Order: sequence, then structure tokens, then C-alpha cells
Amino acid sequence: MKRKTERQPCEAGRSMPRLDAYAKVTGKTRYASDFYAGDMVWAGVKRGGVPHATILSVETEEARAVEGVIAVLTAEDVTGTNRQGVVRKDQPVLADHRIRHRGDPVALVVAESRRALREAVDLIRIQVEPLRAVLDTDAALRDGAISIHEDHPGGNVLLEGTLETGEGEDAFAQCDAVVEAEFQVPMQEHAYLETEAGWSVLEGDGVLKIEASTQTPFRDRSEVAEAIGLPVDRVRVIAPYCGGAFGGKDGVTIQSLLGLAAMRVPGRPVKMWLDREESFLAGVKRHPARLRFRLGAKADGTLHALSADLDYDTGPYDHLGGVVTALGLEHAGGPYRIPNTRVRARSVYTNNPVGGAFRGFGVPQAAAGMEQVIDMLASKLGLSPVTMRLKNVVRRGDRNAIGVAVLSSTGIHECLEVLEGHPLWRDRRAWKDRCPPARKRGVGVACVMQAVGYGPKVPDVANAKIELTPEGAFRVYCGVVDMGQGNITTYLQIAGHVLSQDLTAMEPVLPDTDQTLPSGSASASRTTFTFGKALIRASKLLKRRILERATDLLMEEDPRNLDLVPGEVIHLTSGKRIPLSQIALILNREERFAVARYRAPVSRERPTDREDLRLHGIPHTVFSFGAHLAAVEVDELTGRIAVKKYLVISDCGRLINPRLFEQQVHGGVAQGLGYGLLEDMIVRDGKIMTGDFSTYIIPTALDVPNMVSLAVQMEEKSGPFGLKGAGEVAVDAPLPAVANAVADACGVRITRFPMTPERIMEQLERSGEPAP
Amino acid sequence: MSGREARVWLPGSLDELWKIWSDAPDAVLYAGGTDLMVRRRKGGPLAGSDLICLERVADFREIREEGEEILIGAGCTIASLMDHPLVRQNFPVLTQAFKVLGSPPIRNMASIGGNICTASPAGDTLPPLYVMDALLELRRENGLRRIPIREFITGPGKTDLGPGEVLSGIRIPRLPRYNLHHYEKVGQRNALSISIAGLAAIARISAERTIEDIRLAWGSVGPTVVRSRNIEKALTGKPLSSESMEAAFPLVDRAVSPIDDLRANARYRRILARNLLLRLPFRGVHP
Ligand SMILES: Cc1cc2nc3c(=O)[nH]c(=O)nc-3n(C[C@H](O)[C@H](O)[C@H](O)COP(=O)(O)OP(=O)(O)OC[C@H]3O[C@@H](n4cnc5c(N)ncnc54)[C@H](O)[C@@H]3O)c2cc1C
Repeated sequence: MKRKTERQPCEAGRSMPRLDAYAKVTGKTRYASDFYAGDMVWAGVKRGGVPHATILSVETEEARAVEGVIAVLTAEDVTGTNRQGVVRKDQPVLADHRIRHRGDPVALVVAESRRALREAVDLIRIQVEPLRAVLDTDAALRDGAISIHEDHPGGNVLLEGTLETGEGEDAFAQCDAVVEAEFQVPMQEHAYLETEAGWSVLEGDGVLKIEASTQTPFRDRSEVAEAIGLPVDRVRVIAPYCGGAFGGKDGVTIQSLLGLAAMRVPGRPVKMWLDREESFLAGVKRHPARLRFRLGAKADGTLHALSADLDYDTGPYDHLGGVVTALGLEHAGGPYRIPNTRVRARSVYTNNPVGGAFRGFGVPQAAAGMEQVIDMLASKLGLSPVTMRLKNVVRRGDRNAIGVAVLSSTGIHECLEVLEGHPLWRDRRAWKDRCPPARKRGVGVACVMQAVGYGPKVPDVANAKIELTPEGAFRVYCGVVDMGQGNITTYLQIAGHVLSQDLTAMEPVLPDTDQTLPSGSASASRTTFTFGKALIRASKLLKRRILERATDLLMEEDPRNLDLVPGEVIHLTSGKRIPLSQIALILNREERFAVARYRAPVSRERPTDREDLRLHGIPHTVFSFGAHLAAVEVDELTGRIAVKKYLVISDCGRLINPRLFEQQVHGGVAQGLGYGLLEDMIVRDGKIMTGDFSTYIIPTALDVPNMVSLAVQMEEKSGPFGLKGAGEVAVDAPLPAVANAVADACGVRITRFPMTPERIMEQLERSGEPAP
Repeated sequence: MSGREARVWLPGSLDELWKIWSDAPDAVLYAGGTDLMVRRRKGGPLAGSDLICLERVADFREIREEGEEILIGAGCTIASLMDHPLVRQNFPVLTQAFKVLGSPPIRNMASIGGNICTASPAGDTLPPLYVMDALLELRRENGLRRIPIREFITGPGKTDLGPGEVLSGIRIPRLPRYNLHHYEKVGQRNALSISIAGLAAIARISAERTIEDIRLAWGSVGPTVVRSRNIEKALTGKPLSSESMEAAFPLVDRAVSPIDDLRANARYRRILARNLLLRLPFRGVHP
């Protein structure tokens, strides 16, 4: 018999194409929103429409009378707690008593057709008594401000945290140079391709099945069960490939509503799918924030004192606002050694759209402030921004700005060294001199870090399961959602590496609370980090079992004389091969499965004794880092900023799939450039004025430059194959890198973001005026 | 909400169009639908209306030379015009505007006639058509009239199009005299972007860089495209320099009447209306 050409096993460190790419680009992938069935019904909601009010009554008779309407539900019909949330469960599934933002769902309609649904929703009347709307954090914090949640002891302050190290603010007296600035960063929309969507059915056995576009199937399951009043084992959540999420689906969107609807039509699937306008209105956003920074250094550029105040507008619900704010607090001082600091962050309730998780998770705001003031300080001291940073970035073993010893791999110094030697930095003067007429060129840098995982209290755990199928293939039960990052491909690559298999011999099972094991959220830069490590363990267990059984089969004594190759076990001394399908036949069912658990390491440091701050994630122990360079051209006639070149040097540990890693960097930078330059969610009176893609401007391919992405591949011992998280850190730096480049180009610095041409022009005109 | 589904017709010729239209006089015309479908989605009376698509009316998709003029069918897509040698050679200012209109998929669908009939102050083909004094051909079942574009567009979203009338073509004189052709739009991003302000210019520049003749038209800084003979006259005979342009700023201020909207405020639009002139001295001039 002629041998087939040898199949190449997967190998960590080698790029391989995405498993899902072909099906996605040919439209074959089925997302939650693609579900249709003959007997399917539709669900949708009537939303509050006012920023703040007491609900007097909800009139639904007319809606019920519409032909094709099956049910109209209000809060009174919800038998569970009617509350959702991750930390503080303060968000009603259907508003009871009070409307807290315009997008609050008040009544749920179940109908035979989309048309009947729309008609019924329009006919629902909500009688309200308006309450004074709290429209910004200042108003929320003012004495006598109306409390958005009367039962919250902190009033409109959802969470406040202050951390101090060294002599705190007293140390400014010992500084040779001090700078101070205040910035405002905007609300940002996730703008995923697939809006919030899903379908649900109450099955014959009484189990409520929900398939949803979500990042968090396991958490959704318990949240939904509690909110709508079902035992948790009566809810099953399935998470297919998700059409983008970026944090916006970290938490329940339509799931509880779907559950309530499905209970009304046992046996029939119910679908809910927000259109883009409703997604803008109801979906969570990146928290707008006001940042006050004061930074001081010694004459030689050594950072000495930092004071920072970060106020995040979380809208009317916690969602993940408290955790976002805590991460901002932890990252306020950036990746620097600063011996004396006082940092405070607050998360404040308002009647604006709901703030929630978004790639970067509070860090892009903090970095926007810190990375600009350090540039301002460098310029005051006459130091190059790179020299200034090289002098101060944390090295492994140092204490960071909140006084926590950085014990895991720390490559920001190495990143900066690569940046310093790169032609884009080295030759910047020549590039700037070649500037076309009526334009100015500048180059800016920024350094950032991003924590990996949940922090010290909430267990960051993943449970991997892998099966040798009766056919001799490997099935990987993936516990964490792939929302487009490609982690499912990486999971197979990891298992393939351990088991010496190629992708054709492996298949994934996507997250499903019935099939896969609880492994936490696709978030916090932990998706590959935590699950990958668990999967390595499970794969090793299964490998050992297979080799041991093959050893017995061959009456060999030493399992070390056997090894796995794609599809087979090979006996190294005889060259004999046993197909894996044959091994599978002689293993019983239980033996064909292996499961393993991994819990990410936690820091033993205690920068604070406040248990609530620890619960919210302070401190972390593993961080990814990045040094970014932006080269920009500012048009003096129009104020437009063109980012011409972009360089990213990352420390995300060792790379498993360099191509997927690069895609994360590219995507993060594009989203970060949108945040810094274009995306301005304008909210007036709690109402989104830029409610669709014709007015909310995200970058196109023509707005994003070619990017150079390099990685210093230092090994992180606690991560799979030395890897650290890479999903978020790239989004943190573009705003300050570009802002610093603009300042370098034309000496102006704007304080309200994004850097629209209008704002730049205003500053340019002002800087042209003679000093008063 | 009307219970009936909207009907859509696809006439293949003008004759068919007239016949369909007389049977369904309330039907609304569209070509690429890139404006109309967006408005329909927002609801209102348009949402349920019957539609007649002009895409297959062959007469509307022609481009031909007629003596000193070129006739462009109103149904020609932006993409087809962008690549057409007659358009490229004769009307570089229009080609420049095409390149910044929408994005490749939009340009594949959008028609030049639709851009004109939408009559948005931000329409990208309009300032170039104004500087070239384009003449529009309007047809009804038994009649044809010609009207200059600046008389056809009467306000934001308003035109002189009569009932039963359709825009069939655009006549543009060849303008061999002009050796500077310039269109610049400022939008919020580099593609898929509605103009915040735009300037079209064609000019005759002498070997000594004197402006012998110039025509200018601004988009998005007034209810309709702004063309000012005063400014054109003031610049004629002046050197092509930043100083000459700056001297015209007060006239620009008087000519434009921008508004505040979500995209930009009026103040910024005023700055742009002036500053866009300063790009002209940097433009290449073809001998
Ligand atoms: C994403 C996007 C981006 C865009 N970007 C730009 C841009 O950068 N610059 C720009 O200028 N525009 C832009 N537009 C607007 C639009 O694409 C253009 O105005 C386009 O030229 C319209 O052409 P159409 O054939 O699609 O018009 P349609 O939508 O078919 O019609 C528009 C209007 O004109 C009428 N009409 C069309 N043809 C005729 C005719 N022959 N006779 C009489 N009435 C007629 C219709 O009844 C309708 O009222 C954009 C639109 C979208 C959706």
C-alpha cells in the first residue's frame, strides 16, 4: 500500500488559517441571528423613550388586540427577581416603577409576524410622571441630586476607590517639574456587525433553550434563570460563533426577554433581533469619562508623584461599570514606577445610555490621560518622550503605580527598545521634513498595559474537555465563545500541538451549557490564556491514556517507545502504526474523554484592604504590554488628521498563532483610532443624537493606515505555551499616541475627544493668535 | 402601516416607463436607490410607496458626444462614469468628485441623476456641475425641456422637477480652455462620508501663473451650491497665490450661509469655505 503524504501536525508558534474563515466569507456560518423556522414567532419590546420617569401605567389593550399578537408582558408578569447584572443586580428585565434611560424595555410583545410585532409595540402607551434627568456625572454628584437607585447606599456613586502609595500628593513638593491636565473622552459604540440577537424555545421536557449572540453563556444561564424565575438546570444557553461583541455582549442583552417570550408559546421558537437603531439605543457603550491628571518628576525625568481622578459615567446600571472603573483605577498610572501616587476612580449613575464592558475595559480612558501628561512632562523637561518612558517603565520585580510588585513577565522596556531602534522613530525627523505644503507632520508614542484575567477574588477558571471520537478524531469542547477573535482555531491548534494532530483530525464543539464545561467569559484578555492552559492539561491526559492503551495493545513495556502522529499511534522501535480509530474502539466511553481545570494565578499583594475593590478585580498579576508609535499629518487648512504610519510593539508573551495575533492588533488599533479620531456618540437630554452609522462615524479601510506589528516574545510561565492575553491591549494606545503626534506636529493639544477636525482647527486658530 | 406590499416596476425603455407611470401615477422613481431606500427605511409616506426603477431604461445609460457638448445619461452609475474616457478626459473636476463619493459599492449603484435630483447641498457631483454650467434635460411623455442646473435645484432637497417629469440627461460643454481642475471635499472620514464643505474649481492659469478665468462652487455651505460671480471676478487677473485667495476671504464670508449640524458647526464650515481656496495655489496646472 502506498503511504499518503505525511500530514503536518499543528504547532504552537506557527501561523495557521482560521478554521472558520472559509465558512464565514462564503456566508455559510450560521449566527444566532440567522435562525428561521416555519412556526417561529417574534419578540420585541416597547422602550421607555424618556430618560427618567416614574411609570404610572402601561396600557397594552390596543396592542393585544392587534391580529397576530400572542402576548404582551410587563414587569408584573415576571415571576423571578426581574433583575439582571453581574456584580450589582440593578437592571430590570422589564422596567418596574421607573424608567432610568430611554432604552429601558417596558413591555414585551410576542407576535406571529414582525409586522404585527411592530404595530403592537407602537400601540403600547406608557403613562409616566417625569423625573428630573441626571445627565452628567457632575449633576449626579451634586448635593440634592435625585437618586437613580433609591436602594443604593452610595447614592449616585456606584463605586468609588482611592489608592495611595508612598507620600501620595505630598510628594509633589519634591518634584522639579509638574504638569496638570483635564481630559474628556467620549462614549463609544461597539458597532459589531451582528446586532443583539437570539432565539429560544421551551422544549417538551420543560427546558428553556436559548441560542444567543453572547460572550457569556454560562453566566447568562444563571442570570436568566434567576431573573425570570426558573431553576438553573431548566435553562440551557448555546453560543454559536458570534458576529462581533467587543464586550457589548458580555452580559445579558436579549436572553431574559427571549426566555419570558418562549414561556408563552411552549414548543415554538421565538426570535428576537434588534435592528441597528435599537441596538444603538439599548446596547451598552464604552463609558465616557472625565480625567484629571497631575504628574511630577525629578529634573532627570524620574517620575516621582502622580495624582489622578477618573470619573466614569456608567449610565443607570452597574452592568460591569464598577469593574470597568476598578480596572481604570488600577491602570491609571500606566506601566510606570511612580513611588508616590494617589489615584481615585468613581463610577457614577446617570440617565445616559448604559455603560458596559468594551475592549480595554476602563483602561483606554486611563491611558488617554496618563500617556498625554507624561508626554507633556517630558517636553517640559526637554526629554524625548521615548527616553522619558525608558527611564520609568516597570521592569519585572518593580512596584507599579499602585504599589503592586510586578512578578510576571514584563516586556514593556523591551518593547520600547525595539521602538527606539525602529526606522519610524529613528528617521522621524527626515520624514517630518518631507512634509507636503499646508500640512504638518508629527510622531507620537504611547505605552500601555492591560491586565489579564479577573483579579484576586472572582475565580478565573476554565474547564476543558476533549474527546477521542469513535472515528479516531478529536473533539474539543470549547467553553469560551469565539466572537470573531479566532480563539476556537487557537484551541484546536493547542490540542493539535499536544496530541500531534492536524486540523483535519479535530473538530470543535462550540459553547453550550449542556455540552461544554463552564469556563467563564470571552473577555478580560483571558479567552486563550485560561482555557488554553486547561486544554493543554486535558489533551495531555488523553494523550497519556491513548499511548498507555496502545502500549498494552502492542505488549510493549515502555510507553515512551510510542508516539502520536496525525491519525495514528506509531511504535517507534518497529515503525508499526495503529490508527486512532482502532484505539478508540477499545477504550470505553468514559475513557475517550478527558477533562481538566485551570485557575489563573492571582496576586498575593494587597494594595487595598477594601474587599469590594478586591471583588472588583484589584490587583491583577499578569499584564500584557504595548508600545505604539503614530506618525500623523495635520492639514492646516482643514484640521484633518491623517494617520500615515503606525507601529505596534507588543508584549503578549509567546505567540501561538502569529497571524491571529496580528489580526487582534490590527483590529484593536483600528478601533482605538476610531475612538481617538472619529467616534463621537453625541447624547443630549439622555438621547443619542448619532443613532446610526450615517452620523456615528467609525473608521473605514481608508482611514486606517498600514500597520507594522512586532512582538517581543517573552515567555509567561502561567500562560499556555508562554502566551498572555492579546485581545485588548492594542486598543488602549492609539488615542494618546495620535494625540501626542498631533502635539508634536503643531503644538496643540485638545482636551475633548475625539480629535475632530473642527476641534483641531479651533486649537490651531487659537495657537495662531498672539498671546494675550 | 399599509397592509399591501409595495410594487416595483423595471421598465426597459422610455415608452414602457410612460405606460407604467400613467397606470401608476403615484409610483416613485428611483435609479440606484442609494438615497431613496435610506429614506424609505426611515418611514413616512415614502415607506410604502410603489416604485419604478430606472436602472434598465437604456436611453438613460448612454454617454455620447454631441458637437461641443457631451451628453451623459441620468441613469449612468458613478462607477461607470469614473472609468469613462470621455468623462475622464473632458471633466477632470467631475472625476475627482466621483472618487470621493461614497465607496465602491455605493458608486456601483448610485446614479448621477439621483445625485442631482436628491438636491442635497452636500451632493458631491453638484459643485463640479455648477462650475461647468451643466444643462439638464428633462423629459415628460410628450415633451423635452432644458434647464441649467443652478435653476433646477431650488433648495435643499427641492428641484424644479414637474409631475410626470424625469431627468434624462446632463449636457456639459467641453471646456478645453481650463487647465486647473480641482475638487476637494472635507468629510468626517475618507470614504462613506457626507461633505461638511466642498469646493470645485476650474480655472485658466497663464504661464506667468495669472488667473485668466476662474469658476468656483462650494458645497454644503448654503441651502444650495454656492457660486459667486463676485468672487470669480475679483480673482480674475490676480496671481494664483495664497495672498490673492486671502484677499477674497471677505467675499467668501458674504457668499456662504452655513448651518450647524451633527457633522460640524457653522463656524467651522466658514473656515473651510475660505481655507479650501488656499489649496488652489498648490494644485498642478496643466499647460
Ligand atoms: C452609504 C452611502 C454613502 C453615500 N455617500 C455619498 C457621497 O459621498 N456623496 C454624495 O454626493 N452622495 C452620497 N450618497 C448619496 C447617494 O448615493 C447619491 O446621492 C447618489 O448619487 C444617488 O443616486 P441613486 O441613483 O442611488 O438615487 P436614488 O436613490 O435612486 O434616487 C434619489 C432621488 O432622485 C430621484 N431620481 C433618481 N433618478 C431620477 C431621474 N432620472 N429623474 C427623476 N428623478 C430621479 C428619486 O426619485 C429619488 O427621489 C451616499 C449614500 C449612501 C447610502
